[in-house]
Amino acid sequence: MLRMGGTRQKHATRSSWMLLVFSIGGRRLAVKTSEVSGISAWNASIPVGGRTPFITAVVRQDQAVLPVFDLASVLRLCVQGGNPLCLRIKHPLGDMVICIDEEMPVLQTLEATAVQAYRSKDIPAEGSYASGLDEIPILAIAQLGSSM
Amino acid sequence: MAMRVLNMSIQEPVESAPATSSLRHFIIATIGRRYLAFEAGFTKALLTVQEVERGENPELGGVVDRTVDLIMQLNLTDVPIRPETPVVILADQGIQCSIRVSHIHGRVEVQPSQILPLPAHFTSVERQWYRGLILIEHSIALILNPAWLLGEHAGSDATHDQETAQSFMDLQDSAAGERRAC
Repeated sequence: MLRMGGTRQKHATRSSWMLLVFSIGGRRLAVKTSEVSGISAWNASIPVGGRTPFITAVVRQDQAVLPVFDLASVLRLCVQGGNPLCLRIKHPLGDMVICIDEEMPVLQTLEATAVQAYRSKDIPAEGSYASGLDEIPILAIAQLGSSM
Repeated sequence: MAMRVLNMSIQEPVESAPATSSLRHFIIATIGRRYLAFEAGFTKALLTVQEVERGENPELGGVVDRTVDLIMQLNLTDVPIRPETPVVILADQGIQCSIRVSHIHGRVEVQPSQILPLPAHFTSVERQWYRGLILIEHSIALILNPAWLLGEHAGSDATHDQETAQSFMDLQDSAAGERRAC
C-alpha cells in the first residue's frame, strides 16, 4: 500500500500534479502518477548485453518482457535495500521498469505553482519542486533512454 | 504458452524441420545463466570441444571457418574450455562457425506468434544480434541472428560506437543485471 505524503496531502485539482515519490540510492525522485503502471517486488533481471545506453537488460512479468532502464547507473548510485522494488512506467515505446529502493514510494499532490525548472542536467526532468532542503526532480519519462 | 522441449543428445545431428510445418525450431543453450536460441535450420551439429579439435566428425567436413566468441560479444559469463564443453556448429552457404556454450538443453518448437520482438527501447547494435525472444520456463531465450553469427558481426560491431559503447557498458555493468542492490 502506498503512503500519502505528509504535509502536502490534499485533494488534487486541475492545477495540481499527482506524483509518486520514490528513491534510488536514498535520493528522492518523482514521477507523475499518470505515467506509472505499477509497483511490484523486483525480480532478477535478464541481461541482454546490448549497447543501448542504460538499457541492457529485461525482466519478465508473466507473459510480458519489459526493458530495464538503469536509472541508478545514470545517477551513479546503488539501489538500497535487500528487497528492491520494481517501478513500471509508461514510455512511448512501451512500458519499461526501473529498479528502485525498497523504501515504499509515497503519493504526493503538488500545486502547479510549486513546480520549478530543474537546474541539474543529470536526468531528463519536466521540472522539480523543493522539499525541505532537497530539490526533487520530476522525471520526463518520454525522454528516458532516447536522448541520453 | 505451449512449448515442447525435445531432449537431444549432444552428439546427435540436427534434423531439419519439416517443410510443411509452420512451427519454428530452435536449439536452446545457455552461456552462464543466459538462455540463447539457435535457429535449428542453421544448426549443423552439436559437438564437444574435443570433437571439434580432432576434426573427425563428418558433419563438419573437416573445416570450421571461425570460432565466435559470444562471451566477448555479448558480455557473458565465461565458459570453461574442457574436452566435454558443448559446441554449437552453425552453417549457411558454405560458411561454418562454432560457438562454445555452457549447456545445451534441447530443441523447442514454437508458433511464430510465440516469438516476441526485442523491445523497441533497444536501439543499438543488439538489434542485429537478436531476432527476438522466446519465453522459456520463468526466463527468456534470446534468438541469435545466424547472419550476424556467421559473419556480419566481424566488421560491423567492432567499429560501431566502440569507445562510447564500452564506456556505457563499463558503467552499466557495475549496477546492472542480477546484482541490483549494491
